Amino acid sequence: MTAALDIRGLTVRYGGTTAVNDLDLTIHRGETVALLGTNGAGKSSTVNAALGLFRPAAGTVEVLGRAPLAAVRAGGVGAMLQHGGLPSESRVGEVLRLVAGRYDDPWPMADLVTTTGIAGLLDRRCEQLSGGQRQRVLLALALAGTPPLLVLDEPTSAMDVEGRQAFWATMRELAGRGHTVVFATHHLAEADAVADRVVVVDGGRVVADGSSAAIKSRIAGRTVRFACPDRTGLADLPGVTAVGGTGDRVELATTDAEATLRALLTTRDRLPDLEVAGASLEQAFLTLTGGTP
Amino acid sequence: MTALLTFQLRRVLRSWQYLFFTVLLPALFTVFFTQVFGGQAASAGEYQDYARDSMVSMMCYGGLGAALGATIRLSFDRASGWLRQLRVLPVAGREVVAVDTAVGMLLVLPSLVVVALVGRFVNDVQLPLTSWAALLGALWAGSAAFVALGMLLGLALEEKAAGAAIGILSVVLAALGGLWVPVEIFPSGLATAARALPSYWYAELGRSVVAGSGAALPVLALAGFAALFAAAAVAVGARRPLHAVAG
Repeated sequence: MTAALDIRGLTVRYGGTTAVNDLDLTIHRGETVALLGTNGAGKSSTVNAALGLFRPAAGTVEVLGRAPLAAVRAGGVGAMLQHGGLPSESRVGEVLRLVAGRYDDPWPMADLVTTTGIAGLLDRRCEQLSGGQRQRVLLALALAGTPPLLVLDEPTSAMDVEGRQAFWATMRELAGRGHTVVFATHHLAEADAVADRVVVVDGGRVVADGSSAAIKSRIAGRTVRFACPDRTGLADLPGVTAVGGTGDRVELATTDAEATLRALLTTRDRLPDLEVAGASLEQAFLTLTGGTP
Repeated sequence: MTALLTFQLRRVLRSWQYLFFTVLLPALFTVFFTQVFGGQAASAGEYQDYARDSMVSMMCYGGLGAALGATIRLSFDRASGWLRQLRVLPVAGREVVAVDTAVGMLLVLPSLVVVALVGRFVNDVQLPLTSWAALLGALWAGSAAFVALGMLLGLALEEKAAGAAIGILSVVLAALGGLWVPVEIFPSGLATAARALPSYWYAELGRSVVAGSGAALPVLALAGFAALFAAAAVAVGARRPLHAVAG
């Protein structure tokens, strides 16, 4: 069985900027994968290259064993894009019927409408939809052909909290039905709630790849901050994965705050201005990339 | 293909601006110009000449407006993200372009037919049946030049510029091409400029078909414009694909 998505050596450049740098990623059928990263990490470029929206500077992309465009044409891929949209002067139901008509094996309309929660919107003009409603209609379009692979680029960005919850409930249901779901997000919580595999992207590369729990344990690390002019030996303390901070203010990223503190206190009498906090996603990236800012 | 064509036709026909500017306005102008100026005609023959020429001009005005209005809208579909969305559906880009071109050609017909009907039944323009058919056929075929121009602008312009271009271009092409005021009474410089416009040759095509005189020159000129605009549209489309994000 070919992979749902097979990316090798992908490099994407815009002018002088390298958005994706020699990225490798294989996603197997049936997986639910989150591409997690900050804005500008290269998630969208990876997703757009996977859909064949542009020709990459280097590397190959295979979708369900075909070239991206061929896979899209064959109805194998459903996608929600960041810059996708709905036509003016048309009603939701008309657009949905038009799209469903393009597939040999469309998702039964009544069920599609219920699954995506757009039953009340079919007679609505596309211009009159709220951001969240629009995203749900776009999801219905992505699902119209019952595609084995779903690719979603920050699908919940225009949704409120309730909308997000409903959306991800739908995604879990789809994953349960055997669809391969790949989505880009910058919310750790979203990745954690839905994905069974999380791929962390930073600087156009994959910096971590593992089960949601494994990634979470790594990036759910802690930050220990205190004032200290001398940084000698700090990087070798137990649990410490990165040493950051500016000036006298030291910031240690650690996977085991307790062990780190214990070791610190054996060699020092006091730790002025001590703070221990949960790591933010940015700090988590530091941990994962093993670098300092 | 048929479903997409019907879908696109329905969208354009929902726009009241389209119906107003390309069907209603040319029809009203036909009546207005003929009643005001034709009413001063010295003889029945002179009235016929005037009514016929103004009808042909208004058919051209409506036809080119419809051709441009229906196709420049492509730019709106880029701005809304619909073209990008179509790219991730099993719809080929060629099909999108082919359908919009067909929509442009088809939507020229209501303008031509309505103005012709007004000319015949309100202004009493008398032509042999074969001339009516030839006139409609020639002006329909000739509208291809404006469909090509509209596709070019729809591909090249951003939403706001495209919206403005629909109105401004129809007016400029109509006024300078001699569709509102005959080129014969233009100052000579302006008359020369008029001959550089496709709208002038479009009206010339209509007038020569009605007069039964040779239409080779207007046909050649319009074919040249159509080829030029189509080639430019292909070049723009190659540089800037349909699914490229606006801006």
